[in-house]
Amino acid sequence: MLLETHREAIETIVGRYASPRSAVLPLLYLAQDVYGHLSNAAIREVADILALPETAVFEVVGFYTLFYSRPVGTWMLQVCDDVPCCYLGAEELITALKDSLQIKEEETSADGMFTLQRVKCLAACDRAPVLQANLDYVYDVTPDKVEALLKDLQSRAADARRRGVSGRFAEDFAVTEQGAVELVARDAPYQSRQFEVQGPPPPPEPLPPPEVESGQDRAETRRGSPL
Amino acid sequence: MGLSDYIIMRELNFPDINRFERYCQVGGWEAYRTAVKEQTPATIVQMVKEAGLRGRGGAGFPTGIKWSFLPKDVFPRYLLCNCDESEPGTFNNHQIIDRNPHQLIEGVALSAYAIECHTAYIYMRGEFAAAALTLEQAIDEAYRAGLLGKNILGTGYDLDIYVHRGAGAYICGEETALMESLEGKIGQPRLKPPFPAVAGLYGKPTIINNVETLANVPRIVEKGVAWYRSHGTEKSPGTKCFSLSGHVNRPGNYELPFGVPLRELIESPEYGGGMKGSRPIKIIIPGGASAPWLTAKHLDVPLDYEGVAAAGSMLGSGAVIVLNDTVKAPHVAYKMDEFFKHESCGKCTPCREGTHWLVKVLHRLAEEGHAEPDDIPTLHGIYRQMAGNCFCLLGESAVMPIKSALELFPEEFEAIIKASNERHQRNGAHAIPLRVS
Ligand SMILES: Cc1cc2nc3c(=O)[nH]c(=O)nc-3n(C[C@H](O)[C@H](O)[C@H](O)COP(=O)(O)O)c2cc1C
Ligand code: SF4
Ligand code: FES
Repeated sequence: MLLETHREAIETIVGRYASPRSAVLPLLYLAQDVYGHLSNAAIREVADILALPETAVFEVVGFYTLFYSRPVGTWMLQVCDDVPCCYLGAEELITALKDSLQIKEEETSADGMFTLQRVKCLAACDRAPVLQANLDYVYDVTPDKVEALLKDLQSRAADARRRGVSGRFAEDFAVTEQGAVELVARDAPYQSRQFEVQGPPPPPEPLPPPEVESGQDRAETRRGSPL
Repeated sequence: MGLSDYIIMRELNFPDINRFERYCQVGGWEAYRTAVKEQTPATIVQMVKEAGLRGRGGAGFPTGIKWSFLPKDVFPRYLLCNCDESEPGTFNNHQIIDRNPHQLIEGVALSAYAIECHTAYIYMRGEFAAAALTLEQAIDEAYRAGLLGKNILGTGYDLDIYVHRGAGAYICGEETALMESLEGKIGQPRLKPPFPAVAGLYGKPTIINNVETLANVPRIVEKGVAWYRSHGTEKSPGTKCFSLSGHVNRPGNYELPFGVPLRELIESPEYGGGMKGSRPIKIIIPGGASAPWLTAKHLDVPLDYEGVAAAGSMLGSGAVIVLNDTVKAPHVAYKMDEFFKHESCGKCTPCREGTHWLVKVLHRLAEEGHAEPDDIPTLHGIYRQMAGNCFCLLGESAVMPIKSALELFPEEFEAIIKASNERHQRNGAHAIPLRVS
């Protein structure tokens, strides 16, 4: 039961709001990560914790697209098919994923590893085609990178199961110099967490010397640099 | 016309600017320290008002004026920072947070101080899971430095900032739907009035502002009104972080003063770098999916609220989507209305039903090439029943793509209808049912 295993986290969350009901979304994320998806029992449990009518919580689960009321794969792949991505290779990416996984949208692969979904704009249109894997961004996923991506994700399946599908620990991943995706401690210096699937990593860009006068700013976020 | 001094994308070249100490080394958090210790909240509100800062969330409403709508002496008050950023084509809030979270947090803290509130929430779309953690880490650093929490810098001022993640619903960017969502309900908009400044979150006076809007505040307070107003135009002062995407060579976020012509953003080698493969421009959508379309004729339109409005569109979120001649206008309208259909909250009939019917007809026509002779009047009929009848602006926005497509490219609809008619000679053999979804 969540109250036994996560009491402290739940109390912290509820303490942020003037009304406990505000904690519904964060608690549903927690339940979804612990149980894999939001079963009826899990939804009732959240309702009980917050002393809400069950219908109030079922309604929320039905309304928001990031809550899954049926089992999903270890990795939830959510590909943006919106304008402009759909004109920049997103459809080809979706086709490549469907071919490779032998599934259609909203289905889960036979081994339970991947669920495929089309989603709307992910606010990364400059890096199209783009997808999220359990809410980790993956940029510039041209169809030729699909095999490498799926292999990489497969090799991290155990991690994915531990982290859950809701992205509550999305920050814990970083790319090493060798291009591997690794867990980083919560207090480690900031690192880029979103990773790219590609061959050898590009040579690091030379950084300007640290002693910069105020005013040495930049007009753009460069393509190709990790955010 | 490059900028020598950026406001929103400041110091992005400074290594590790996302760390607290590094941000402080370039003057970060100074504006807030000074304000809390030496300036009254009213001074800050006055500065923001005089600077002419306008809301970057879409409407361009003057921020200082919005702040002064708060009823006097009613407490508690809340500040909400809107980071729902889900409008197709818009991606600057995302990058502002990923690269320089402290600037936003300082902006939120300063604004909270200005409106005399002690609790602020940053509402992020659920997909920004990593960005939410970036912000939480940065907020922790600010707490540790004594800039947030109780009795800040010994002044007796208290402030808590929390990050709250939504769960995948564009409509939660609408300010009253955001409040519903933050209260743990489904994200359906509320009737206005009462406006949020009078009765917002938990029925208390609430100010809601976009990420980019609040990220401007530290620089205004630090460098003053005259400096701020030296950027941009008289009516749209300051700079705007334009999200440029589509068939351009260099998509990305570019910070430019208001008033720069569209052509410069798209064609300048510093920014968009022109069209991929030098193909001609067909459609320019200057303010996210909700904005009426422009075309290559409009390249000289100045990018400020007034200029884009005069050209018949709106600056909206500053997301500029540029599409070339390989796209078909009916298909673009289909994809965009599919977005609105997907995101309609279902509260009111014109939007819930209207977006569904638009998508059904457009899918048959644009995706499958099966058109009925009267499809054009049908489409006009559907959007006319929506326009002016929807409960909130999402439904009204859904009218724009189809209306623009029919106005600007009627011949493309006619061609599909003609081809479809000839192919089937109207013998009924082509009668396929509307897609049931
Ligand atoms: C359907 C809809 C979606 C919206 N989405 C956003 C959004 O994602 N981010 C945002 O800042 N404003 C969004 N807005 C505008 C907000 O309602 C509100 O006007 C804005 O956050 C106010 O901030 P500002 O004054 O700083 O612009 C949206 C409005 C509508 C009608
Ligand atoms: S216009 Fe659409 S999104 Fe807005 S209230 Fe009506 S159904 Fe909901
Ligand atoms: S359209 Fe795909 S990320 Fe914006």
